[in-house]
Amino acid sequence: MTRLNALLRGSEPAASLPSSLKDFQLTKRKALDTVLLPTRKTENWKYSAKRLGDINGLPADLKTSSGLAEKTDPNTVIIENGQVAHSDIGIAGVTLKTFDMLSEDEAKVVMQGVIARSDDLQFAQLNHAEFSNGVFVSVADHTQAEQALRIIIRHSGQGISYSRVFITLGKLASLTVIEELSFDDLGGASALLNSVTDCTLSAGARMQYIRSDMDQQAQSKVIGATGVVQNRDSFFESHCLGLGTHLDRHDFRIEMAEPGAECNLNGVCVTQQQQHYDNHTSIEHIAPNCQSNESYRCIAGDQSQIVFNGRIHIHRDAQKTLGSMSNKNLLLSNGAEIDSKPELEIYADDVKCAHGTTIGQLDEQEIYYLKTRGIKDEQARQMLTLGFVLELVRANPIAEIAEQWEDKLASLLSFEQ
Amino acid sequence: MLSISNLQASVEDKQILTGLNLEVKAGEVHAIMGPNGSGKSTLSQVLAGNEAYEVNGGSVSLEGNDLLDMSTEDRAREGVFLAFQYPVEIPGVSNLQFMKTAINNIRQHRGQDEINAAEFMKLAKQKIQQVNLDPSFLKRGVNEGFSGGEKKRNEIMQMLMLEPKLAILDETDSGLDIDALRVVADGVNALRSPDRAVIMVTHYQRLLDYIVPDYVHVLANGKIIKSGGKELALELEERGYGWLGIDEKAKA
Repeated sequence: MTRLNALLRGSEPAASLPSSLKDFQLTKRKALDTVLLPTRKTENWKYSAKRLGDINGLPADLKTSSGLAEKTDPNTVIIENGQVAHSDIGIAGVTLKTFDMLSEDEAKVVMQGVIARSDDLQFAQLNHAEFSNGVFVSVADHTQAEQALRIIIRHSGQGISYSRVFITLGKLASLTVIEELSFDDLGGASALLNSVTDCTLSAGARMQYIRSDMDQQAQSKVIGATGVVQNRDSFFESHCLGLGTHLDRHDFRIEMAEPGAECNLNGVCVTQQQQHYDNHTSIEHIAPNCQSNESYRCIAGDQSQIVFNGRIHIHRDAQKTLGSMSNKNLLLSNGAEIDSKPELEIYADDVKCAHGTTIGQLDEQEIYYLKTRGIKDEQARQMLTLGFVLELVRANPIAEIAEQWEDKLASLLSFEQ
Repeated sequence: MLSISNLQASVEDKQILTGLNLEVKAGEVHAIMGPNGSGKSTLSQVLAGNEAYEVNGGSVSLEGNDLLDMSTEDRAREGVFLAFQYPVEIPGVSNLQFMKTAINNIRQHRGQDEINAAEFMKLAKQKIQQVNLDPSFLKRGVNEGFSGGEKKRNEIMQMLMLEPKLAILDETDSGLDIDALRVVADGVNALRSPDRAVIMVTHYQRLLDYIVPDYVHVLANGKIIKSGGKELALELEERGYGWLGIDEKAKA
């Protein structure tokens, strides 16, 4: 049994952090003594633990910078190997700080994020103990941010890196965040990018969260967690795109803390070759009169593997909850694997909650229809495969990103050339 | 152009076509009428190449070539077009992308270059206007969320874009209001030419007021039992199928 503290590299918290964050880290370091590296017997890692491989053997010598950090675009933050670089954020009403600049009060807010409070996410625990800096974004009350904020999370060189983001939206504020996870060319070296993003939405706030994880290098591993706390009448919408790597994991936690909140989660995953992608979503309906909608579509080809674990937990007081979850999957080859597991836990008696999972192949009737117009069989299958995920991709509120994702998926799913 | 001889076909072990003969020459419009369950849709699907139907006898030739030997897509490339009774919805594939891919497949088959983007857009916009659909339908998923009438107009739009030699309309008139019916009829009439042929499968005489056929055939129990000119349709409308020895109620 390997304990997760074997992965700790730093000897103590970074000196520049506010003292409450240092205390937080010290507590989390201590707690790691009892956290075990997941195995296939660990319930939340059942289908993915085998992908962890020799994670314990990852070396610590991270490159400091690939020079990209100096070339930031406006309204863009780069976190590279846990270090933050950004140009001036010119979005009115939006303030950006690094963790070492935080006041004690702000630091306390960071520790109240969903992921910061979760003690069952093994790698987030490790992140709590190990991050050396982070990005703190706050949107003032009543501010409707005109431009989107882009956060590029990069890893370069072999080893493990930790990124940390905290976003807080004031009352009736709104913001669009684009989070992009990527790796430098690793040249075959093993690497793990460990990211945590926590968001808190005040009453009436609206947030759009667009997350892409498009690295496909055979040696890269990504383990990320996103948490959202939703207060009264807030609205959260996400659009995630994941292309597989050796190990790719996203834990997504939504806490509907006050009445009237609504969230819509959209996700697309496409894996090929030996790749892997694991989505674990969890929606905690704590308050009454909230609504959650979740739709994930996944395509696994070759010998790749996709996991979808969607949990909706409706607490005793969360009456009048409306929940819906849909997970549709396409298997493109006999060697591909999709493990889909909806989990509904309902303790309130006046709720509507629907879930559906399908795993299948293409619809023959649709193929026939395309063929009657002269389209060859292979091409018809390709169009339908792409179409299966494009429905969700096109729902992306930022047209250029939708196009960029569509182009990427079209080239990935093209059977020709 | 099309020569069907003693065609027999079954679906799920049920024999539907029991020896159908039909000759269609270039330039002609044929209407096929008949009670429910007589085999009208089966004929359309067999000609288009639906693999759910098994052909167990007879032959069909298109301009001298064995149609039954061709794949579904090759039939389309050789100029066969089926307007579906129930067009399939394909969310995620846009009408534009669908038609462009189809046109290019057909062009490639004829040894032509791919259509250029500007030329294609011009054609698509022109044809969608011709069937009275808003150009925004081009960007929508194929038939996704379309009403019944919009789906049928979309079928006609596809037909106008692909300019088939042989168009088969499978109950394209069913469920259409009078305006949509006119749009469909105008579309088909625009396509009529000395080197094309049309087979209209229909339940009602109504469509034939707008698209005047050269021949009308009555299909019953899987074969054509009576053929005549356009006046036959009027007679059927007036007298039903009973006088031909078909008990329509028993069929329905």
